[in-house]
Amino acid sequence: MAEQTTTIVSVTAEALSVRYVEPDWLRKMRAGAWEIFQAAPSPKLEKTDLRDRSWDIGPYADEPGSPSEEAEALVGELAGQAYVHVRNGVAVAVHLPEALAAQGVVMTDLHTAVRDHADLVKAHLGTVVKPDEGKWAALNAALWHGGIFVYVPRNVVVDTPVHFVYEETGQAAGGAPRALVVADEHSALSYVEVFLTAGSQPDKVHTGVTEVIAKTGAKVTAAAVGGYRKGPANFSVRRAHIGNDASVDWVFADIGDGFSVVLLESDLAGDGSASTVQGIGIGTGRQHLDLTASVLHHGRYSTSDIQLHGAMKDRANAIYRSSTHIFKGAVGAGSEQHDRMLMLDKRARADAIPMLLIDENDVQRCGHAASVGRIDQNQVYYLMSRGIPRSEATKMIIWGYLEPTVQRIPSEVVRTHLVRRIDRELEA
Amino acid sequence: MQENTLGKGWYGMAGPLFHIEDLHVSVEDKEIVRGLNLTLKGGEIHAIMGPNGTGKSTLASALMGHPAYEIIGGKVTLDGEDVLEMSVDERARKGMFLAMQYPAEVPGVSNANFIRTALNARLGEGNEIPVMKFHRELQAQMKRLNIDPVFAERYLNEGFSGGEKKRNEILQMVMLKPRVVILDEIDSGLDIDALKIVAEAVNSMRSPEVTFLIITHYQRLLQYIVPDFVHVMMQGRIVRSGGRELAERLEAEGYDWLKHELGIEDETVGVQA
Repeated sequence: MAEQTTTIVSVTAEALSVRYVEPDWLRKMRAGAWEIFQAAPSPKLEKTDLRDRSWDIGPYADEPGSPSEEAEALVGELAGQAYVHVRNGVAVAVHLPEALAAQGVVMTDLHTAVRDHADLVKAHLGTVVKPDEGKWAALNAALWHGGIFVYVPRNVVVDTPVHFVYEETGQAAGGAPRALVVADEHSALSYVEVFLTAGSQPDKVHTGVTEVIAKTGAKVTAAAVGGYRKGPANFSVRRAHIGNDASVDWVFADIGDGFSVVLLESDLAGDGSASTVQGIGIGTGRQHLDLTASVLHHGRYSTSDIQLHGAMKDRANAIYRSSTHIFKGAVGAGSEQHDRMLMLDKRARADAIPMLLIDENDVQRCGHAASVGRIDQNQVYYLMSRGIPRSEATKMIIWGYLEPTVQRIPSEVVRTHLVRRIDRELEA
Repeated sequence: MQENTLGKGWYGMAGPLFHIEDLHVSVEDKEIVRGLNLTLKGGEIHAIMGPNGTGKSTLASALMGHPAYEIIGGKVTLDGEDVLEMSVDERARKGMFLAMQYPAEVPGVSNANFIRTALNARLGEGNEIPVMKFHRELQAQMKRLNIDPVFAERYLNEGFSGGEKKRNEILQMVMLKPRVVILDEIDSGLDIDALKIVAEAVNSMRSPEVTFLIITHYQRLLQYIVPDFVHVMMQGRIVRSGGRELAERLEAEGYDWLKHELGIEDETVGVQA
């Protein structure tokens, strides 16, 4: 089949290196990634046709532009807390509370970190999501613009969440944010990223990469709240590398009507490592979401639990894959998967695809359950039988389906923000 | 016994008059209730007894308006208003309450949130119960029903044992203060202590403003909740009515004497289609 993908990129890796006066290693890394991107074929996904997708990105703005109301409200509520705010690739605010700085915690925008924390960034950037793993990982590695760097030193427990608010406004031409989160040995951190896109410019590409590194004994909760509107095609990769006895708990929420291909992955590299992946999604309009939540078990006695709950409205079309791969040598590994899709409209579609690959004979447990259905009419009847009108009963049931995941987002401000957004979608 | 802080008769109306006339109900095109007549008045407790498969639970679900039960004939009125024309939630807001045999589990919706939403729906816009007052009342009623306080924040019926679900139904009853109460086999799965607690809750609600329809297999429950009327259901209709002594005779002798008197061979709705 002929490759029809158009690649018209209005920004170059070299221009970014010049703009941010980047060191040689990064200049080389970007240039190498650019070569890989150009050579790589458009990925083939079983359920998502990418042949006609263009890969245009940029031009990147010099100035951040004016804020969206939504982002402004959110950042306003974060006052006093730890956050990095990036608009259209440009850092507009970095706030690290004194108490965290005193503990040795580093949190800044990624371009600044390249300059001020060169050794730490160089040692970790691109080690978890490598430029050569695919077309959009390469695109991000070549053209990342705007991002966050978080480093928590050994034995430091950060008990308040660290936020990354990334926004693309109407003027934006796609984007390539990058997050690098490093939790050193026996540290603890809650990291929350919120992506808000305005959704014009249909031919552009948004490619986000988040790398989380949890070293021996570290405990990380990583939450991602995304809202991709109709417009740029969104490709994102979030991956955690999890060391011995370390854990990473992912919580994500995706609400929107855009075109998205999303991979969220935990690499359980260490013995006794653990990861949970808990996610919800609300698809509206003509959303196309192709989401894979994946866990790779390499370490002995590693455990994982994936729980995905999607709700599709209008003509949304979603594919939720949960994939667990237990590699040879991951003795005693255990995993569970629970995926549920709820169809709220007749024309909505969803697939829940569980995948289990087990190369090791000696595993503890390996379970999966997947279902696609409509709202349980017995539940509706029960609530109505106590006087609650049908519309309210339905809303309560959908909320009940989403709520346990919302509650696990480790930031009150972001939880409240998400509750408002879900309410808005369910009212619409 | 703790007094209800909302007060009795908060509807401020006269006792209910609930009237069922020649009711026919079918499930999946099979007629289960076949011409049932019954009148319930405020202050009365009626018990419907009968062996399995005679249409008792179908009657209860159909009265509440479960979508799987089709009314194919007859009339049901509450204070003269046509119940069959009302949606399920309207029936509840008019004061009907069915304690279900198998209540649904609703993950993610806390018990307290559910009961408060239901109570506010009954009270109507502008008359909502203040949050603190609600929680005080809920905790008091839970204590009285010997329900662990943590059940307020547990998800509705999720992971509850059979007995816990039944007590949770009774909790909703005492919180919502309905006028027409239908208890569908509330006694099944309850040990004797729980049964006594449930009976006490029902007895405490007994007043001219409430009427009860208690569906049960066993006379056991009726030792604690003394009915004014006992009805026996067979083949989808009431075949015999009497006082408390009827229940006692059924407990002692079973149903065979009655079937013999009535010339019924199979009391279920299965054969006589």
